[in-house]
Amino acid sequence: MLAPVRIVGLGNVLMGDDAFGPAVVTAMVDRYAFGEDVEVIDLGTPGGDLVPHLAGASLLVVVDTVRSGAAPGTVQVFTRDALLKGDLQPRVSPHDPGLKNALLLLEFGGQAPAEVFLVGVVPEKVASWPGLTPVVAAAIDPAIDAVLSLLAERGIQPSRRESPSHTAPWWNAAVDGFTTFAL
Amino acid sequence: MAQWVTIDPITRIEGHLRIDVEVDGGRVRNAWSSGQMFRGIEKILIGRDPRDAWLFTQRFCGVCTTVHAIASVRAVENALNLAIPLNAQYIRNLILCAHAIHDHIVHFYHLSALDFVDVVSALKADPAKAASIAEGLSNWPGNNRAAFAAVKEKLQGFVDAGQLGIFSNGYWGHPAMKLAPEVNLIAVSHYLEALEYQRRINQVVAVLGSKTPNIQNLAVGGVANAINLDNMATLNMQKLYQVKSLLDEVKAFIEQVYLVDVAVVAASYPEWLSYGKGVTNYMAVPDLPLDGAGTQFDLPGGVIWGGDLTGVKPITKFGDEYFRDGVTENVTHAWYAGTDTKHPFEGETNPAYSDFDAKGKYSWIKAPRFQGKPMQVGPLADVLVGYALKHAPTVKWVSKFVEMASGIARTRLGLDVMHSTLGRHAARAIRCAIISDLSIRHWELLVGNISKGDVTIWNKPEFPSGEQQGFGFHEAPRGALSHWIVIRDGKIKNYQAVVPSTWNAGPRDENGEVGPYEASLVGNPVAKADAPLEVLRTVHSFDPCIACAIHTQDVDGTSIATVKAL
Repeated sequence: MLAPVRIVGLGNVLMGDDAFGPAVVTAMVDRYAFGEDVEVIDLGTPGGDLVPHLAGASLLVVVDTVRSGAAPGTVQVFTRDALLKGDLQPRVSPHDPGLKNALLLLEFGGQAPAEVFLVGVVPEKVASWPGLTPVVAAAIDPAIDAVLSLLAERGIQPSRRESPSHTAPWWNAAVDGFTTFAL
Repeated sequence: MAQWVTIDPITRIEGHLRIDVEVDGGRVRNAWSSGQMFRGIEKILIGRDPRDAWLFTQRFCGVCTTVHAIASVRAVENALNLAIPLNAQYIRNLILCAHAIHDHIVHFYHLSALDFVDVVSALKADPAKAASIAEGLSNWPGNNRAAFAAVKEKLQGFVDAGQLGIFSNGYWGHPAMKLAPEVNLIAVSHYLEALEYQRRINQVVAVLGSKTPNIQNLAVGGVANAINLDNMATLNMQKLYQVKSLLDEVKAFIEQVYLVDVAVVAASYPEWLSYGKGVTNYMAVPDLPLDGAGTQFDLPGGVIWGGDLTGVKPITKFGDEYFRDGVTENVTHAWYAGTDTKHPFEGETNPAYSDFDAKGKYSWIKAPRFQGKPMQVGPLADVLVGYALKHAPTVKWVSKFVEMASGIARTRLGLDVMHSTLGRHAARAIRCAIISDLSIRHWELLVGNISKGDVTIWNKPEFPSGEQQGFGFHEAPRGALSHWIVIRDGKIKNYQAVVPSTWNAGPRDENGEVGPYEASLVGNPVAKADAPLEVLRTVHSFDPCIACAIHTQDVDGTSIATVKAL
């Protein structure tokens, strides 16, 4: 069974800044130890398959890239209402549905997370490339702080690990032609 | 007068499928399918260790993770001529089965059913009448008056609150919607139940693959699931029995709910058993290998030309020469330099973007061809090839389905109705039932092999110097997937993935011959050009998946906090 509190990183690790969500949760697990009631997980880009991972959560914090009009690298926190506002788009590919559809589906099914937040960063470059631009890499720390304060407001305090590795995640391992980034 | 309809609703997000149709006299006269995102992710793999390739390829797409992982390790094993232990084969097979079942259930209920089910109409249903209809079709315990009344009440609550939530983008009241209110109510009830079975089958992937999505248990040469029946930390009898009971529960849902619902839709929309035919060259690759080297399979593969089942040509083994030598990709109408036709081992990915030009280049998807011809891949190809080769589980489930749908429609349906929009949905449900049967067989094979004392899970790969090439295929939920690798001195020199949605959604080729989506749309009715539900019905029946490689949340609202990067 999944833990009631879920910190979920979304994004494609092979598409530049789209890897922000996975990078943030990877860095969080590297730096902090969480209790059994907290699940910190990189879910990639599962579309409609998000549903079982969100069902029944007491608190869901999603970390992802957002299109909000702010400057690249800006970290913003959104509530469930901001995320769900506006109509759903008609579907062409059955795999278009993302977070919004998953949450609405769970609402109808009666298994929606009790609280939902989105910690978003505005990406600078989303293209086939396993790395983050400097401005988005610099947003990892503020995003972690934003997640931690959402947890702290609910009395959840992960413990800081004594010696985090700060190594680059697996998808960013050095290969000729690609630079790595430290977490 | 002819009208040009472009369905490209998500233009703010890169990476989506765009469909253009020319409509004349209420019918589609011509169609164009365009992938709006440059992939080229294969380039990231060049220079890397082939043993790591699967970790990257399973991130190609967030929905089809497992399938790209499996095709990748099979490609490297083929290049090294490396057989894997039986346990590894069976464990992989179980994961493949669970992934496919999950994918098919989600596709039908949560992504396609609303093309045929009018949710709002369910509010007019009489739950008692719905129960009597449903009980006449299946013994499913969820089919009862109280359950249907509760769903109706829940739906009424949503509508009364002025919101339809997840259903807000449906085509309610569209003239092409035909199900009775009671049938719509049954479908909405099963739509909700499907969520639970999606969760259960996903658990199988989680138990065996260590994590889902993005499994962690693969390795070139086998799997990383240590087997020790007495150890809680490894794959043991308790976990195996947990898998078995999940497989059994989901099997009941597939047979008593999913298959029945598709039969009801097929019987209720007989015209959709003739629209959507398109390309009738079909190709499926064999899967669920029964030996370590991949020479015997539980799901057969083969090629059917022009819908002629009697002339089926089998694809029989990993490394099959007939398959290997027949595959090419052409870029005449795709946004890549030139007009070349290349074999995947020589494949290049040199983007050359221009505007959408229906007569010139108009898609990021290349046009894959087999022996120069477009091929339809997917569950329909799978089922037709299996039927043509007299594969017993396929014959059994096709017969059961045709009998059930004929009974509901009160007319004798023949196999020819399968070449259609609803035929593809029917084939997907049939394939799901076949795979559900086989998942239990492969569970028994795994447990039987372990009981003999065999706990081997991995054969070490050795990379000789010089160059090797290989390919791995997998009959994925959307059809034939192949990964092609060239290894030089232990590093990846070239890598190409030819994915099912490329076969189906690809553009015209150098001869101007259209791809399967494009062909299937011609002749489709379109009652309302501004609500082209019928076009979506046919496109959805293929279960397109080209759009999931990137994922940015569109936020319509103000943030509660802005955090400055220092």
